[in-house]
Amino acid sequence: MMISRKEKYKVNLVWAIGIFIAWELLAFFLEQVIHDPMAAAKMPYPHSVIISIVQNFTDLMSAAGLTFSRAVFGFALGAAIGFILAIIMSLSKIAEKISLPYLIVSQMIPVLGLAPIIFTLVRDMNLSRIVIAAYITFFPVSVNMLSGLNSVESDKKELLYSYAAKKKSIYYKLMIPYSMPYLFAGLKIAAPMSITASILVDMLGSSGGIGVKLLYSLYSGTKDVFWASVVTSALMGILSYFIVILFEKICIPWRKQTT
Amino acid sequence: MSMLNEIDTEFENRNVFKPREDKVEIKIEDLSMVYQDKNGGEPVTALKNVNLEIKEGEFISLLGPSGCGKTTLLRIIADLLQPSSGKVTVRGQSPREVRLQKKYGIVFQNPVLYDWRTVRRNVCMPMELLGMKKQDRTAKVTEMLDLVGLTNFGKHYPYELSGGMQQRVGIARALAINPEILLMDEPFSALDEFTREKLHEDLLEIWTKTKKTVVFVTHNISEAVFLSDKVVVLSPHPGRVSAVIDIEIPRPRNMESKQSKQFYDYITKIRNSFEGV
Repeated sequence: MMISRKEKYKVNLVWAIGIFIAWELLAFFLEQVIHDPMAAAKMPYPHSVIISIVQNFTDLMSAAGLTFSRAVFGFALGAAIGFILAIIMSLSKIAEKISLPYLIVSQMIPVLGLAPIIFTLVRDMNLSRIVIAAYITFFPVSVNMLSGLNSVESDKKELLYSYAAKKKSIYYKLMIPYSMPYLFAGLKIAAPMSITASILVDMLGSSGGIGVKLLYSLYSGTKDVFWASVVTSALMGILSYFIVILFEKICIPWRKQTT
Repeated sequence: MSMLNEIDTEFENRNVFKPREDKVEIKIEDLSMVYQDKNGGEPVTALKNVNLEIKEGEFISLLGPSGCGKTTLLRIIADLLQPSSGKVTVRGQSPREVRLQKKYGIVFQNPVLYDWRTVRRNVCMPMELLGMKKQDRTAKVTEMLDLVGLTNFGKHYPYELSGGMQQRVGIARALAINPEILLMDEPFSALDEFTREKLHEDLLEIWTKTKKTVVFVTHNISEAVFLSDKVVVLSPHPGRVSAVIDIEIPRPRNMESKQSKQFYDYITKIRNSFEGV
C-alpha cells in the first residue's frame, strides 16, 4: 500500500502525541495512584523532562557537542577504513580469505572491554573516543560495501570488458557507484553505533561529554537531569542517522524514491 | 546523410579499413563449443563445426530456437567466450585484438544501463573510456540521441524510461564510438510487439545511415526476415548451421514489405529449413 508523504507525516504526528499522552498518564498513575516513591526515577513526566532539557540547555548541548564531534571524527575515519578494506577484499580474493575471518572475530570483542585497553594505550580521552567510534564503524561499512561490490551483475561488467576497460575504470565507473546504496546501508547501521561508542568512552572517566552527565546525574540523584541526558543521547543517535540519510539523498539521486 | 559524413570524418583515424564491397569482415572456420558440466555430467555441445562468412556492411541474423548456440556464437565473436576449437577472424585479426581496439559495439538483451548515470552520461561512457575530449563527447552524445529519437530525454535517469526507450539508449551507446561491428543479442525480445516494430524500422534507418556490419541474434523469424540481408538458420542439439538464406526483399523496407508475398515466402522457407525441431 502506498502512503503519501503528507499522510505519513500525519501518522507520525499521531504516534508521537499518543506516546506522549500515554507516558503522562502512566507517570501520573505511578506517582498519584500507587504512590511509588521512585516514580520520578522510573517514569518521570515527559513535560518535566522537556522543562529540564530547556533549563539545562547550554550545559547539555556543550556536553553533547563534545561527544558528538568526536563520534563524527571516529565515524568518518572508520567509514574510510571500511571502504578501503572492502575495495582491497574485492580486488583480491586472497586478501578477502585472509582478512574477513579476523574482521568478524574483531567484532566479538566487547567494546566495554576494549575501551579501557585503548584508553590505557593512547592515554587521551578524545583519541580514545575517535578510535572506538572508528572501530565500531568500519565493520558494518566494510561488510556492506563488499557485498555491494560482489553483487555487480555480470552483464554490466561485460559491457566494460567489451570496451577493454582498465581495472581502474571498472572500479570508478561501475563497481563503486553500483555499491553506493550498500555503502549507505552500512553507514546507517554504523552512525548511531558510533555515537553509543563515544558515550561509552565518556563514562570511563572523561571530564566532559554526555556520558559523564548521565553517570553523575544517576549517582547524584538529579533525576530530571538524568532523564534529560538520556533523551539528549537518543536524539544524538537519531540525528546521526538522519544526517546519513541526507547524504544518501544527495549522493544517490538515481534511486527510485521508495521511502 | 550529412550525419553519416560527420561520423566518418570524425573517426577517420580510427577506421584503418576503408569499406569495400564484398570484403569478408568476419570469418568463422570449423568452430565448436563444448561446455563441460561442472557436476561431472555429460558435456554439452553448444556449437558443432560452424562455418560462416559475414561480409562488410552486411546485416546478418543468427536465427534459431533456444539451445541452438546463437548467443554462444555471438559471444565468441565478441571475445566474451573462448571457443573449444576452430577459429574466428575479424578482418584478419582475432576477436581479442578487435575488442582491445574497441571496435565492437554490443547491444545486450537487457539494456544494461548504469542506473546512476543519466541517459546522456550512459551514452557518453564508452567515449570516456576511449579518452575523447569533453566537447567532442558532448557533441557526439547529442548527435546519437537525435539518431535514436531521444533528443529530449538526455537528463533522465534510466528508471524513468520505458523498456523501448532504454533499449534505444543501449543502441545509441553502442554506436557512440563508431564501432566497426554492431553485435546485437536479442535486443528487442523483452519488448511489446508495437514497440518492437517501431524499433525495427528505426534500426534499419540507423543502419542505412551508419553502414555498420550487424550481427543480430533472434528467435523471431519475421524479425530476422524483415531486418536482414542474410539469415543464418541454426538448429539445436548440437548447435549447427542448417541453412543460410539470402533475403532479397528490396530496401528501404517498411511496414508494406511485411505484407508482401515475398516476405511470407521467406518465412515459410525458413520454417521448413529447421531440422528436427
